Amino acid sequence: MSAAWVALALTLKVAGWATALNLVFGVAVGFVMARWRFPGRDLLDAALTLPMVMPPTVLGYYLLVLVGSQGVVGAWLLQHFGIRLIFTWQAAVLAATIVSFPLVFKAARAAFETVEPQLEDAASTLGIGAWGVFFRVSLPLAWRGILAGLLLSFARALGEFGATLMVAGSIVGKTQTLSIAVYEAVQAGQDDSANFLVAVTSITCVAVLLSAGRLVPGRVIARA
Amino acid sequence: MTVWDVSLHKRLRHGASHFELDVQLRCELPRVVLYGPSGAGKTQTLRMIAGISRPDAGHVRIAGRELFDQASGLCLSPQDRRLGCVFQDYALFPHLTVRQNIAFGLHRSWRNPRRVARDPRVERWIEQCRLQAVAGHCPHQLSGGQRQRTALARALVNEPSALLLDEPFAALDKGLRQRLREELLELQVTLQLPLLLITHDDEDLRCLAQTVVQIEGGRVSDDALISPPLHPRARPQVRPQGL
Amino acid sequence: MNIRPLRALATFAALLVNLTAQAGDVTVSAAASLTNAFRDIAPLFEAAHPGARVQLNFGASGALLTQIAKGAPADVFASADQLRMDQAQTQKLIKPESRRDFVRNTLVVITPVSAASLPHSIEDLARAPFARIAIGVPASVPVGSYTKDVLQAAGLWGAIEPKMIGASSVRQALDYVARAEVDAGFVYATDAAIMPDKVKVALTVSTAKPILYPVAALAGAPNPAEATKFVDFLFTPAAQAVLAKYGFGKP
Repeated sequence: MSAAWVALALTLKVAGWATALNLVFGVAVGFVMARWRFPGRDLLDAALTLPMVMPPTVLGYYLLVLVGSQGVVGAWLLQHFGIRLIFTWQAAVLAATIVSFPLVFKAARAAFETVEPQLEDAASTLGIGAWGVFFRVSLPLAWRGILAGLLLSFARALGEFGATLMVAGSIVGKTQTLSIAVYEAVQAGQDDSANFLVAVTSITCVAVLLSAGRLVPGRVIARA
Repeated sequence: MTVWDVSLHKRLRHGASHFELDVQLRCELPRVVLYGPSGAGKTQTLRMIAGISRPDAGHVRIAGRELFDQASGLCLSPQDRRLGCVFQDYALFPHLTVRQNIAFGLHRSWRNPRRVARDPRVERWIEQCRLQAVAGHCPHQLSGGQRQRTALARALVNEPSALLLDEPFAALDKGLRQRLREELLELQVTLQLPLLLITHDDEDLRCLAQTVVQIEGGRVSDDALISPPLHPRARPQVRPQGL
Repeated sequence: MNIRPLRALATFAALLVNLTAQAGDVTVSAAASLTNAFRDIAPLFEAAHPGARVQLNFGASGALLTQIAKGAPADVFASADQLRMDQAQTQKLIKPESRRDFVRNTLVVITPVSAASLPHSIEDLARAPFARIAIGVPASVPVGSYTKDVLQAAGLWGAIEPKMIGASSVRQALDYVARAEVDAGFVYATDAAIMPDKVKVALTVSTAKPILYPVAALAGAPNPAEATKFVDFLFTPAAQAVLAKYGFGKP
């Protein structure tokens, strides 16, 4: 059973990092996509949403090809930094981040689109620079929607399996997340272990989703 | 001295159709009213003067200050133009109280003014605009008149060099409108601020305009100096004593 | 009451039933290392038994056993080690009288073809240049159990286990080595022979007991007659020739 706690701790670490990365990139990209019109914007939006609809094993395969020792990125990392990404918890974070990125980015974009651009214009005429406007006006008005997206992405990262297995493998204590541990327990016919792991995972996911649901009502009215 | 020296040219694209904006105004008197039907390009003009959108060509000079000159490549950001703007629908920040809204421009940091903070400049304007009772309220709790006064106070607390207003009385009922018009007039006269007002309401014209610029289809169709002014207080005045 | 939609539904349901297992189908759950050989044997069986179709299901023997134990409708089970077949027998999943060993295999250590250093003995694997070693997860993959037994017997399991990258099947271990994601891996000689351009055999490892693959017809087989026919077919010269071609030895 202690293996289960190791797997839980690792799962939370991986999902936590993935969500933190998505907070920065998802919000940034969501803001850019909400505010700027440029040719090919819809195409980019579709491309960025792709990880959400692509089968995880397909995604995992692409990642493997890209960051594996013989891949474009992987070979470069190996040559210049001596880093082998495959079979590390960082690879698990990479897989989880990519898979759950669309959840944050789309939520952020939708949230920023509800913020009246006129509010941002008003703030700039009052002398506040672009970063100030973002942190003082845009983000406070959009944060509820963003947070709901973040929680969903956290839940998704918790459950990530296919892509993670391909690039991070299943190393107890390093990359064996809860989902992978369940898989292995079933493969080995260890039902008791599997049942316990499944229970732990389910409770965690339900807790996360309940918190996400709490944030949706009580919207801030983003119009004066 | 010319107070308003504005020349703007811009080609706007809405899907397949074009809209060409070509506006000039040169006024020696501070109060200008941009008058015209909706869709004429009045708001676009105001946005370009404020620096929110950029014209293709032209220049903007207000009270001797050059804000934009396409020929020399000068284009001040909205932040640097020091203009007070009151937008249609007021654009009050819904997540901040009246006090925080008014104090907004006084802080240049990445954090909003705190709810409990009290700045004498802000307090003075709250009093001036009779907002003491609602200073701690959020915009959705305010009446139309209170919102308008908050928006005005917010624009004025920064000591702008000119005031731009986009249909500031449109959402209010008639009686309130007249009162607020008079208050605005008094404010302008007291502060001697150049004032540009967008409206399609005749009453606003009569009360506030020293110069009327009529815009239709993106172009100035009539440029009239109203003389004599119909409202006694609208006459150019010497600054009253004691203020 | 409208008859027509009901009729259509009934026809559709009947079709669905027909699309699934027909009489003459035999489902074979076989160890991953048998993938290529069985894929070649299946059409030979179908040619010899007209009307019969072979459905192949490959995976780690432990995983296959779990599926069967949970009620998967397989007809034949071909395992890569005696242990899983013993477990199947204990759980009364097979027909004991049908159980026979049908091929032999060897454990080897492979490295990526581009590898700079080669191990000269399994002790070398405990040392520096070999930081990552692909080994099948012992709990479910026979090649992993064999490896663990060998390493434990040599007193090396403690040194090597921290470097182990667990593979869910022998073919995955092979893939890891082929991609050069690991420095070495334990697979069967027959697997190494599949990818001569990507992996090279560094060592042949002798195991305490020979590696013999058993096959048996399953007790709960939906197609018992076909199950027996398939098991018997594996001992015909045609099938044995295919197995030999891929490097399997005679039992």
